[in-house]
Amino acid sequence: MSNSKVAKDVMIGIFEYPHVPYWFSIAQAIRIVKVSFISSKKYPDPMAILVFDEKYNLMGTLTLKDILRGLEPRFLKPSEKAQGISENESALSLIWDTLFTQGTKELAEKPVSEIMVPAKHFVEPGDPLTKAAYLMLHHDLVLLPVLENKKKFVGLVRMIEVFDEISNAIIKE
Amino acid sequence: MELIDREDHQKLYLQLYEILKKKIESDEWTVGSQIPTEEDLCKIFNVSRVTVRSAVMELVRQGYLKRHQGKGTFVFKKAVSDGITMITSFREIPFEKGLKFSTDVLARTVMMSVDDMNIRLHVPKDKHIIYIKRLRLIENEPALLQETYIPYHICPLLLEEDVGNQSLFELFEKKYGIKITCVENHIEIVYISRDEAQVIGLSEGSPAILLNQYFYSGETLIMYTRSIKRTDKFKFFINLERKAA
Repeated sequence: MSNSKVAKDVMIGIFEYPHVPYWFSIAQAIRIVKVSFISSKKYPDPMAILVFDEKYNLMGTLTLKDILRGLEPRFLKPSEKAQGISENESALSLIWDTLFTQGTKELAEKPVSEIMVPAKHFVEPGDPLTKAAYLMLHHDLVLLPVLENKKKFVGLVRMIEVFDEISNAIIKE
Repeated sequence: MELIDREDHQKLYLQLYEILKKKIESDEWTVGSQIPTEEDLCKIFNVSRVTVRSAVMELVRQGYLKRHQGKGTFVFKKAVSDGITMITSFREIPFEKGLKFSTDVLARTVMMSVDDMNIRLHVPKDKHIIYIKRLRLIENEPALLQETYIPYHICPLLLEEDVGNQSLFELFEKKYGIKITCVENHIEIVYISRDEAQVIGLSEGSPAILLNQYFYSGETLIMYTRSIKRTDKFKFFINLERKAA
């Protein structure tokens, strides 16, 4: 992989994804997902929203899974102390259905900052893709920000490009 | 009856807006009368509910229509004047010399459209928008809370600018060569929300002046600004001058 591509060779532009400030509600984020992806039938992999602070610094990312997780009632989330709740899982999910209209709509008013995945890990434009792969695997990330001089957000590396590059190296060898 | 032309490059809601506006201006829909429901308009013009809603909202914004919760939408006024035309100048009374002005930039970021912002900015809903929120202070006291929305494609480099010490108007004209040819002002008295009150230093529900401004370069809307002004800090002056024959 020594002559392989680096992050800047495969990164995609940040305007490929919708942007929101951290104070937007989950409900507003849902409307943006509908307009940007579902209604327009654009299904990028992954479908995500970028969350920024008031100085336009990247704060985190928000996938469809994160949004659904944010709408899940607290009682459905596994407690750290609970063990072996699998038998009750389907019953609990039915309760979510009965409470859906009132509880879930209230949860949708929470700001996206409460449910986003914080952007703690990043690569520099010149970093090898193996570094990107390592960070994505070990921190369960679907998108990895590319920051110039640890500050300027210039792009995003996705799993698909990382996979493609690493798999090419294997196939060629 | 005038219908939507689907071969026309103009957006459907703008075509519908023009058709409905003509109905008001020609007195086909008289002041005080109720207009057809959204559903009826969809059927009459064979367009979606979103198109009808966007056109009606624009007419509401322009003052042609007024919505009454639970009752319907009514013709509010005929916005064109048949009388003498005047040149109108509107300005704020100048402040005393020597006052200290400053600006706090509360936010400068990028967002997507929510509510009717895409209609206000005449852009599709999935376009990125630059958002700038500034608090203007006079003698270190809050006087004006201003939120500005600019379609990102109009001036991407604006994100790199110091918007605390420079006027957006001047940046557009002098640095980026975007000449502002028209500014449309809408003024209202409003009662401010709790969030606005906290920032501007008043109590919730206090009256304030709301100034909505639409900045055009030719026919392109380049910026929308929503300003909340403290009534104790600003005075206005309107001058009407008969146009030369």
